[in-house]
Amino acid sequence: MVYEVKEEQSKDGRKVMRIDREHLLDLVKDLKADGYDSLSLISCVDFRDRIEVVYHLFNSKNEDILVVKTETRDSKVPSLTSLYESANWDEREQYDMMGVEFTGHPNLKRILLPEGWVGYPLRKDYDLSKTQYVNMDDEGEDRVSFDPGDGW
Amino acid sequence: MVEQGNLKNRLIELNMGPQHPSTHGVLRLKLTLDGETVKKVEPIIGYLHRNAEKICELDFYCDALIYFDRMDYVAAMNMEAGYLEAAEKLLGIEPPERVVWIRTIMAELSRIASHLVWAGAYGLDLGMLTPFFYVFEQREKILDLFTEISGSRQETNYMSIGGVYQDFNDKIVYLIREFLDQFPKKLEEVFNLFVKNDIFISRTKGIGILEPDVALQYGVTGPMLRASGVPYDVRKAQPYLAYDRVNFEVPISKRKDNYARVLVRFEEMRQSAKIIKQALDKLPDGPYFNPKAKKSLMVRLRGEGDFYARTESPKGEFGVYLVGDGTVKPYRVHVRSPAFKNLSVLPALAKDVLIADLVAISGTLDLVFGEVDR
Amino acid sequence: MKTGDAGFITTTMDKAMEWSRSNSIWPLTFGLACCAIEMMATQASRLDISRFGSEVFRNSPRQSDLMIVSGTVTKKMAPRLRRLYDEMPYPKYVIAMGVCVIQGGPYNQGYSVVMGVDRVVPVDVYVPGCPPTPEALTNGIILLQKKIRGEEDR
Repeated sequence: MVYEVKEEQSKDGRKVMRIDREHLLDLVKDLKADGYDSLSLISCVDFRDRIEVVYHLFNSKNEDILVVKTETRDSKVPSLTSLYESANWDEREQYDMMGVEFTGHPNLKRILLPEGWVGYPLRKDYDLSKTQYVNMDDEGEDRVSFDPGDGW
Repeated sequence: MVEQGNLKNRLIELNMGPQHPSTHGVLRLKLTLDGETVKKVEPIIGYLHRNAEKICELDFYCDALIYFDRMDYVAAMNMEAGYLEAAEKLLGIEPPERVVWIRTIMAELSRIASHLVWAGAYGLDLGMLTPFFYVFEQREKILDLFTEISGSRQETNYMSIGGVYQDFNDKIVYLIREFLDQFPKKLEEVFNLFVKNDIFISRTKGIGILEPDVALQYGVTGPMLRASGVPYDVRKAQPYLAYDRVNFEVPISKRKDNYARVLVRFEEMRQSAKIIKQALDKLPDGPYFNPKAKKSLMVRLRGEGDFYARTESPKGEFGVYLVGDGTVKPYRVHVRSPAFKNLSVLPALAKDVLIADLVAISGTLDLVFGEVDR
Repeated sequence: MKTGDAGFITTTMDKAMEWSRSNSIWPLTFGLACCAIEMMATQASRLDISRFGSEVFRNSPRQSDLMIVSGTVTKKMAPRLRRLYDEMPYPKYVIAMGVCVIQGGPYNQGYSVVMGVDRVVPVDVYVPGCPPTPEALTNGIILLQKKIRGEEDR
């Protein structure tokens, strides 16, 4: 597969690869074949007009870290769950906090906040002044509302 | 009367937690049971999600430390050291040589304290009450040292950008040496309580086998990975603080089971004691604060760019991804929480085990929910 | 027999009941966050809480008298906390341990933390600190004992 990678060095000496999101899956597949057998971390950074998704890959042979960066303007990025099991929870966490939709994820739902929460709290435009309340219904599932229900 | 035929092959759904004595916090496990056998485990987390990453963005760089203290709340010093690895690089502030050594000593003391809490709690999981009292006696001694030097027992907030809160004096050095003199003997007592107990051995040996490739797939690090035979320790792989100037060994085990994880953690405590002893001998003289980061000027520190620092916390590789945009506040703080990854492997680890073994397995994960949920 | 005598007997019985109740408070094992470790330390070797009759940590809310809310209560946890409180038999008491439980503590500018557990369950004794030392928690339990016995504080 042919794709274009922009390689650079970060300020603290990590090797960074920039790739557009269409070719992300191919690049990571090749990197995995090269020995990067563990996905260490997925972070998203909200730059208001775009969201940067940062992958830290880990090589267990030479214990090295490699950074892959991609960015998205419509909050959609291909999921890496087919390559790494740990992407499952990491992507759910980023979806929960940042609202990035990982296409192809088998079970993309909130992991830390209750289901039904409004907004993505780590985005810069999240309104902290609006309080949300959580109640439990008879089945033990969470119900989120903006006005305090009974029990509060 | 229930016909026996109907009971056969019927799966039962059972909720374990979020308030359950053996889940080490507010973990909820959704179990699918076939009789006594666990068919499926689904961990449900987020009951301690305290929005630490968001609040870090609202405060100055120096203020984020208190939220890091409360992430892995049994090993606060390791969390502080991890954050400062990233923050000091971002802000361009070098800690003086003495500070580096002091931080090494405190981080290792904190590691011992964390592993001791784990040992006590794991004993409780398996129905052993005695080790709990032994380890807390030792832990109280470490917390006394923390109180002596930082004024606080558990959430110390001892380290700060470019230095530490208070310099080591002769008294604290003497107290740490005194602690180290009696610690190895007491540790062996606790160790023997575990490994010379038949019930403990039969509940851990051969149970909860984690293959190294599965562990790497799930991003498992720390004692859990080393118990599976992968010798990855950030202190050796990418030395930070003063770890490249002290002699210690990274314990690994090829057993891959619960028993291996117990042995690895105990050996780590012995190695930590060794590190502290060497660091006390090599402790250089000098300032305990970088003059560039005076307390009054701390709120004016700014930095730009993105930085990632990995450190070895008691649970595994603790990573901090820090983005600065040139203002006095961090733009984005993201934490690679080792306990989060270690928990995510539980569904693969606890498949077709007995429900009693599930408790024995989840105990070895060493979960701390301040860090899993943040 | 005068009513006064009968009244004398009942009040003495009440006193005996209060006395025995206050010296056998069984807390619920309910560790939430950082303060739970200090709660464990209170129970452990150095600051043995059993000197005050509270060493029997029960794992079931149906067997316990006291809920020590030790650690930050999040919005996701609050309904579960309320359910556990409802399952406890009367008379029941609540100790709010730590500033997170009292008013949100360091997390009170955020979005997912309950600003004080007293919005969810009634609280008898507040123990401030972040986290409170085991001595402070022991003091809180002694205060609760005084409250149960109907004594004036200090």
